[in-house]
Amino acid sequence: MRLVVRTVSELCITVGTVIVLFVVYVLFWTGVKADRVMDDQIDQLEEQWARQSARPTASPAPGASASAPPKPTPYRHGKPFAIMYIPRLGFTWNKPVLEGTDTGTLKKGLGHYERTARLGQKGNFSVAGHRRTYGDPFKDFPRLRPGDAVVLTDGTTWFTYRVDRGPYKTVPSDIEVIDPVPRKSGYKRTGRYLTLTTCDPEWGHSHRLIVWAHLDSTQPVEAGKPAALRR
Amino acid sequence: MYGWIWRHLPGNAWVKALLSLVLVVAVVYVLFQYVFPWAEPLLPFNDVTVDNQ
Repeated sequence: MRLVVRTVSELCITVGTVIVLFVVYVLFWTGVKADRVMDDQIDQLEEQWARQSARPTASPAPGASASAPPKPTPYRHGKPFAIMYIPRLGFTWNKPVLEGTDTGTLKKGLGHYERTARLGQKGNFSVAGHRRTYGDPFKDFPRLRPGDAVVLTDGTTWFTYRVDRGPYKTVPSDIEVIDPVPRKSGYKRTGRYLTLTTCDPEWGHSHRLIVWAHLDSTQPVEAGKPAALRR
Repeated sequence: MYGWIWRHLPGNAWVKALLSLVLVVAVVYVLFQYVFPWAEPLLPFNDVTVDNQ
């Protein structure tokens, strides 16, 4: 009898310890891992861009870059292709954007919805990110307001998007929000749009928060950082 | 359970304590490296997309 009671209580303590460890893992360790991986992705991108700019053939003729980019290479699934900056989320806030929105990809950074527009192109460039865990990239998502800048770079061009519609709450099945012209955003014509999605409430999954933005300006990286990123 | 493990560890009390420590570290490592990464996606924090991929 005593043995049974002792074993049961030992098991309870063990389960409790494992649960505490799991909470530590989710709250703390995923963040540590994600920060390391995201820095890695950004380093990879910067290295790749440095190699590209070193090659003389990569530079297009002046004036032709904006209207006719020389055959864009398709984004590779699970690979980073851009860095996103959102000054509202913190002056040092920058995250890699990877192709695809599966669980493994979202652990390494923000995920670009496959089949939505390319960065800066006509259509809706849509990106998903974690609200909590894995570095909490979109923790302060509800603080985004109309007029806020969302700046992206693909190594050759800076793209500055401006938020038009503040955090809009919807249900997880609302695929329309990443349409080329999302109906609820108030946009009427085709344009160069950006959609960010994350989960709501912070620790839940019952809803999604959406932010829409339009492309405000672009400039080549040689021209330096866009005004939105200058202090 | 723990008493049973303690009795079956070899050596004197110091060796036993050291071995227990190694065992604890091994268990925590396995949990963090394999078990938790498997269990974590079952929680709702990963659902951030609108098309449920």
